[in-house]
Amino acid sequence: MTTGAILQAINGLSLAALLFLLASGFTLSFGLMRVVNMAHGAYYLLGGYIGLTISQATGSFALAIVGGGAAIVVLGYLVDRLLIRRTGDNHLAQVLLTVGVAFVIGDVALKIWGGDFLKVPVPVALRGAMELPGGLVYPTYRFVLIVFGSVIAVALWLLYRKTQIGAVVRAGVDDREQVAATGINVDRLFVLVSALASFLAGTAGVVGGAFLTLYPGAEWEILVYALVVVIVGGLGSLEGAMIGALVVGLLDAYGRWLLPEFSYFVLFAPMALLLLVRPRGIAGRET
Amino acid sequence: MTEAAIQVGALAKEFGGLRAVDGVTLSVAAGERRALIGPNGAGKTTLFHCITGTLRPSSGTVRLFGREVTRLAESRRTALGMGRTFQISNVFTDLTALENLTLALLGTDRRKWIVHRPIGAFAHLRERALEGLERVGLADRADRAVRELSYGERRQLELALALNSNPRVLLLDEPCAGLAPLERQRISQMIATLPRAITLVMIEHDMDVALGLADRVTVLHRGRVILEGTPAEVQANPEVREVYFGHV
Amino acid sequence: MNRTRAAVILVALAAAAALPHVAGPFWMGLVTQMYIFGLLALSADLLLGHAGLFSLCHASFFAVAAYTTAILQVRYGVPTALAAPAGIAAGTALAAVFGASVRTRGVYFILITLALGYVVWGVAHRWSSFTGGDNGVTNVPFPRIGAVGIESHTQYYYLVLAVIVLCAFGYRVLVRSPFGLGLRGIKASESRMRSLGYRTGLHLYAAFVLSGALASLAGVLYVYYNRFVNPVAGSFPVSVEAVLMAIIGGTGTVVGPFLGAAVILGLRNWVSSFFELYAAVMGIVFVATVLWAPNGIMGLAARLRAARAARG
Repeated sequence: MTTGAILQAINGLSLAALLFLLASGFTLSFGLMRVVNMAHGAYYLLGGYIGLTISQATGSFALAIVGGGAAIVVLGYLVDRLLIRRTGDNHLAQVLLTVGVAFVIGDVALKIWGGDFLKVPVPVALRGAMELPGGLVYPTYRFVLIVFGSVIAVALWLLYRKTQIGAVVRAGVDDREQVAATGINVDRLFVLVSALASFLAGTAGVVGGAFLTLYPGAEWEILVYALVVVIVGGLGSLEGAMIGALVVGLLDAYGRWLLPEFSYFVLFAPMALLLLVRPRGIAGRET
Repeated sequence: MTEAAIQVGALAKEFGGLRAVDGVTLSVAAGERRALIGPNGAGKTTLFHCITGTLRPSSGTVRLFGREVTRLAESRRTALGMGRTFQISNVFTDLTALENLTLALLGTDRRKWIVHRPIGAFAHLRERALEGLERVGLADRADRAVRELSYGERRQLELALALNSNPRVLLLDEPCAGLAPLERQRISQMIATLPRAITLVMIEHDMDVALGLADRVTVLHRGRVILEGTPAEVQANPEVREVYFGHV
Repeated sequence: MNRTRAAVILVALAAAAALPHVAGPFWMGLVTQMYIFGLLALSADLLLGHAGLFSLCHASFFAVAAYTTAILQVRYGVPTALAAPAGIAAGTALAAVFGASVRTRGVYFILITLALGYVVWGVAHRWSSFTGGDNGVTNVPFPRIGAVGIESHTQYYYLVLAVIVLCAFGYRVLVRSPFGLGLRGIKASESRMRSLGYRTGLHLYAAFVLSGALASLAGVLYVYYNRFVNPVAGSFPVSVEAVLMAIIGGTGTVVGPFLGAAVILGLRNWVSSFFELYAAVMGIVFVATVLWAPNGIMGLAARLRAARAARG
């Protein structure tokens, strides 16, 4: 029984790592720019597909990760400048607009990569399983994913909390106008944060596409998970995204293991509970 | 002895590290006209928010006609007779002036829950709403969207809304803010002619208006009451003059 | 209601009544769908156009009602007289639960309803032992109450039309009622409403449950039309399209959502006949509507009228 529990914990953590990559970008975009980007899931999927193609063409996983991320940075920038800009602070408009963008991306991706379940090939060095103390055997890749996710989380946290630029971003999350008034080029800051969010989303697609599969519809499933992370953790909070990702990842893993037919319900019940008790999320603030 | 209309006991409100209201105790008698003055940042509006229920105080009590309302929801306090106006016009811009007043009238009326009859069927309601508009001189604007009204007209509407929610106590937050002298006069005239059945507490920067309308004045500075007395007493007090006019 | 408006409505009703006799079964079926999804859009618009809340979970009530009625009729042989009301009750009960989301506002509300919407889809999808999973519930019979039963698609068309007309009139009274005005007040300034004595949370909750009931009714109409229901009925695209229909047609109106449904369904039908990327086309419609026609068709009509009046 405990072996099962530990295995599920690791499953949960690997999903948490993936969700953090996606949710951190989303929550910072909102916190700083007040932008709700529902195309984030589509960015994930497209990044994954592009990474897959790169991997197939070059045989390099590293290139796939970078390429997938970079492609989404470009796409994200275009969507931002040409479309999202025009909606100002109108969240309803942003949601509808970015859902529309996601529909377009999803359909085009379907046309190019088809409807089959595809997997990004795991690099040879990370294939197979590892033996953990206690005789547990676990896929190496997932383990590395947890490490990768943790490294990114720590790096982001340090950037956010300990650097000058992070301080500016934090100030901007707190009060956009004040930061602009100090003469800092807010526009450039927005572009930077937005690019980071896009890059993380695209990279997450490649990294996730190696153990979860890529398929039409995956963009919405992953987006919903990321949204629950953000709701639980609080919009605009990086630490909240970390906590939320852990909560969601572990709940999903245990839910699927213990109550497979009701696993979605297990996931959303705590969110509903949170709603009733603390609508702002664990670390969030009033919008 | 009749109980006070409003009784605030050792009220404090903290934001982060800042004590916007720092232990305020005051008592406003029924029917009284009280002016609340003080320089910007003195905590006047925050105090109002705590009294009306928009904000929860960090500590202290608020009583309305003897009844403790410190933790009571804003809408419930209104049902008990608390009314207020806002410093920055808070009216329903997308609706017509008449609809604005209708909402004010229905706020304390059970009929706000009716789903099966159109508002047009309530002739009496429409009459009262028109009367309410007339009292503040906006009857000819009844069917205009508030968006089309001038700033001065919106301040008038602001007052009308509060008056029509059946208040026993009315908190006016700078009713004359941003108005031209003629409009200022009109509003202060309206306030002066309000019945004594309504207790008034007024935040006002215009000293003439405030001291002219008030029975008693409370002076606030940095979240604390530094003086309370008649308009004459307050005007003569040197500390007040320094605190208040020294900042001009 | 002025005379022009009454005349337009009469003409529209006459045209609707005449449709089955002048057009073939394909068009009749399409228009029936427009009525049904128009009703779903209307239910979402009660919240959006009047209370200012953008809900992305209305397909859940639609689907739960559809599934409940379908399962009762097909698996347990429950007659329409009980199965239909039970469907509406089930969907409304879900709305009473999801209504807790009105404790949030703005973006949070949008995200939470989106996530809640997924619960129902997910349950329909994974609880296959009960819901039939992706295969759904099939062979739903036509509705029948005692000796009176629907026997053809044409008859069902008229039944749906009658229900829709009744709903439209009822909805019109609702939005013009004190309660309806209250919702618009909350949308305009919730803080002012609270200071005027309104328990805004309760108002919004009541509106949410009412709108859920309407969406459930649409779901029951849907399942008897389609004779089949699967998880797609409760999916995110259905919820978001319902809102888009309301926006395209014009939020805050009674006719707008139905116009929007006509546009979206008509467009999809037309485009999918020659272009396979019609979901992308829908996406472009979303983007275009947001950027260039946020007030929808009714908004454009209002602007035209105003321009004409200005010219004198």
